[in-house]
Amino acid sequence: MLENLGKLPRLLWESLLERLIFLPPFPERIDSLALFSLLLVVGLLIGEWLHAHARWPKVIGYVLAGTIFGPALLGWISIEALAQARPMADAALGLLMMEVGRRLDLSWLGRNPELLRSTLSDIALSFLLIFAFALLLVGLSPAWAAATAAVTMASAPAVVLLTVEESKAQGQVTERIILHTAIGSAASFVAFIIVLGIVHAEHSEDWLNALAHPLWIAIGAPLIAWGAARLALGIAGLLPKRSLAQVFVLIASALLAVGIARMLAVPVFLTLFVMGILLASRDRHQTLRYTQLPEGHWLLAIILFVIVGASLPWQDFTWLTGLQALGLLVVRAIAKIGALAWSGGSLPLPKRLLVGIGIQPLSATAVFMAYEIASLYPEIGRSALALPLFSAAIMELAGPALCRLALRKSGETESGAASKGGIA
Amino acid sequence: MSQPLSEFTHSAALTLGVELELQLVSRRDFDLTRAATDLIDSLQYDERFGEIKLEITESMIEISTMPQATVDGIASDLAGLRETLGMHCARHNIAVCGGGTHPFHRWPERRICPGERFDNLYQRYGYLAKQFTVFGQHIHVGCTSADDAIWLTQALGVYVPAFIALSAASPFVDGVDTFFQSARLNAVSAFPLSGQCPPLADWAEFIRHFSFLQACGIATSIKDLYWDVRPKPEFGTVEIRVCDTPLSIEQASSLAALAQSLSRWLLRTRPVLHTGLQAHVARYNKFQACRYGMAAMISDPVALCQRPLRESLLELLETLSEDARELGCEHWLKALLPIVSNDAGDAAWLRARHLAQGNLNDVVRETAERLLTQPTHKSWEHS
Repeated sequence: MLENLGKLPRLLWESLLERLIFLPPFPERIDSLALFSLLLVVGLLIGEWLHAHARWPKVIGYVLAGTIFGPALLGWISIEALAQARPMADAALGLLMMEVGRRLDLSWLGRNPELLRSTLSDIALSFLLIFAFALLLVGLSPAWAAATAAVTMASAPAVVLLTVEESKAQGQVTERIILHTAIGSAASFVAFIIVLGIVHAEHSEDWLNALAHPLWIAIGAPLIAWGAARLALGIAGLLPKRSLAQVFVLIASALLAVGIARMLAVPVFLTLFVMGILLASRDRHQTLRYTQLPEGHWLLAIILFVIVGASLPWQDFTWLTGLQALGLLVVRAIAKIGALAWSGGSLPLPKRLLVGIGIQPLSATAVFMAYEIASLYPEIGRSALALPLFSAAIMELAGPALCRLALRKSGETESGAASKGGIA
Repeated sequence: MSQPLSEFTHSAALTLGVELELQLVSRRDFDLTRAATDLIDSLQYDERFGEIKLEITESMIEISTMPQATVDGIASDLAGLRETLGMHCARHNIAVCGGGTHPFHRWPERRICPGERFDNLYQRYGYLAKQFTVFGQHIHVGCTSADDAIWLTQALGVYVPAFIALSAASPFVDGVDTFFQSARLNAVSAFPLSGQCPPLADWAEFIRHFSFLQACGIATSIKDLYWDVRPKPEFGTVEIRVCDTPLSIEQASSLAALAQSLSRWLLRTRPVLHTGLQAHVARYNKFQACRYGMAAMISDPVALCQRPLRESLLELLETLSEDARELGCEHWLKALLPIVSNDAGDAAWLRARHLAQGNLNDVVRETAERLLTQPTHKSWEHS
């Protein structure tokens, strides 16, 4: 009965089609733009509602929207629709990663060597402890344990940037959360490239892939990034600084890099991150240094997180995997907070601990990296990478809240400051 | 809660102290940033050159020298404070710069520093407290007696336009050229107790006046008086408060030299003061100096005419050269001459850099570099 009702619009349409010659064939799939706007509105509504009623970070709402309407629960966003929306998610993640790369100020490490120590200990401890946990306690093979560590060792740049932006946070804790996130991401990308080779070596009989694939990415991403950054700086140099035209050039170059990376199967997040670093470090005349992406680009982030939420494999959830994911997150938290407690570069211990809490998010890049590796050997990868994916799924909800808590406790957010008595 | 006025601490004559309010800016875009409390909390510094303190908003920091007998001593302290602050700012990835206003910051984004005093100011003055994110140089001149301090406060009032024009370093506000040389003082003028010290004959009269203000509920402590020049009983000084923070500490030292030489000359020659008449033209003259700098026309309420400020300043510098020589600060005073004769002041420099760069972010970047750059061997002496 219901099935017949569902077919009614199609039957009606097809009967009209014979007489109304202007009508197109019955649309089999929702148009990309319509899907884009639906995801945007639904994500926005849930995010805003949670933010207004429960003071939760909006990102949680976007992820929840994706999870609820995605294939795992209601199924309103189908797997095909997810694939269809992927270019938009890539563009959103790309722009965010470029922004993180632009903010990565390596010269700060030169001016404050203690920071180098704390960031190196965060990277090393996070990778080693997660690797040991996955290998010894969960029982993954060395290659997949390394893949799990590479995917989950860093904080989530997109979540951190959005949370900082949303809370209007400003100060040392904020700046250090961004720095640690950016450097941690760089390290995880390097680990990711190495792990690709290891996974190929373990599962492919042809050794060529074990060498060629990591090299393809290690050379491809910087090359695309270098070309796009050169293009952006070259054209922007002819335009007035901070002009709207420069903003267009920046976005157009970024989208070009996203497109080429997709064409050549080079990870978008890595390419755009490197592009951001190059834009900041090669910009000797401050051509694009002060040019900011328009506020509207955060709308793209809504799409990104709705899609990430819809991509989470909740249908494969088991209590054992859930417990293992929780264990991984505890180990990861110990590593990060421990590293920051041990050394944090001229910041008092309570604030260092807040930095450690602020870098807990785990999100889009981890999910995308996990799928990138899993897609190589789908029959094994999907189950082998269930651990990082579920860890990311839990952190999609907890991560933004933890990051916000750290920013608020540090007194660097607008609302947190107001509670201290008139510091608005 | 009203605080009784403290006893006037007698200082050695003409000792100096300088306070500079400096801007804390992000190294990413050179906008003001929230950094002061983090910076102070992690400061490892033994205060050998003076203090580094919080100011009203988180984007400001104040440095103040030790009391010094000479301008060379002030310059040495300021150099030490600059080095200390520069080093700590670098560790926190922030930059520090001079100038009376930040050229393009948005005042609603400013955060008031934690602390009871700052919180009270915010509660009392509302948004004015955030708009008070402007940066000035205060110069203290030591006085041997309370009566001398009141007399000097009145006498220095006439020279307020000279200090404004020489220090002017705030032509940009909210990202636009204000056409003012010093737009900073417009933010100060909004406060109810800003302006000139009223005509007062001596310390006893000042005590009566202050008690009157307290009884009317207008002022609780002397810190509430935002006068252009005011006595500071606990330091035993007269404080000149109208200068913009210059773009370099060398310029700040030169302004201290002017304050010291001028005070010596005034106390030595004791010219007749027409405080009642001066009160009628003081606001107009101050506006002229803020708006036009050296091109200001200053009203003389005694001679009933106007005189170009540039002309009277050239005469004044000539007059003070003997006192400056006696005080050992003639080389610092001479460094002010190009500003008077060639319009080579900080406001002109900021405008020139804006013209060259085409944006204000780069202007602030260069301003930050300028503060931390040590001049080549006594180049200021002969410039």
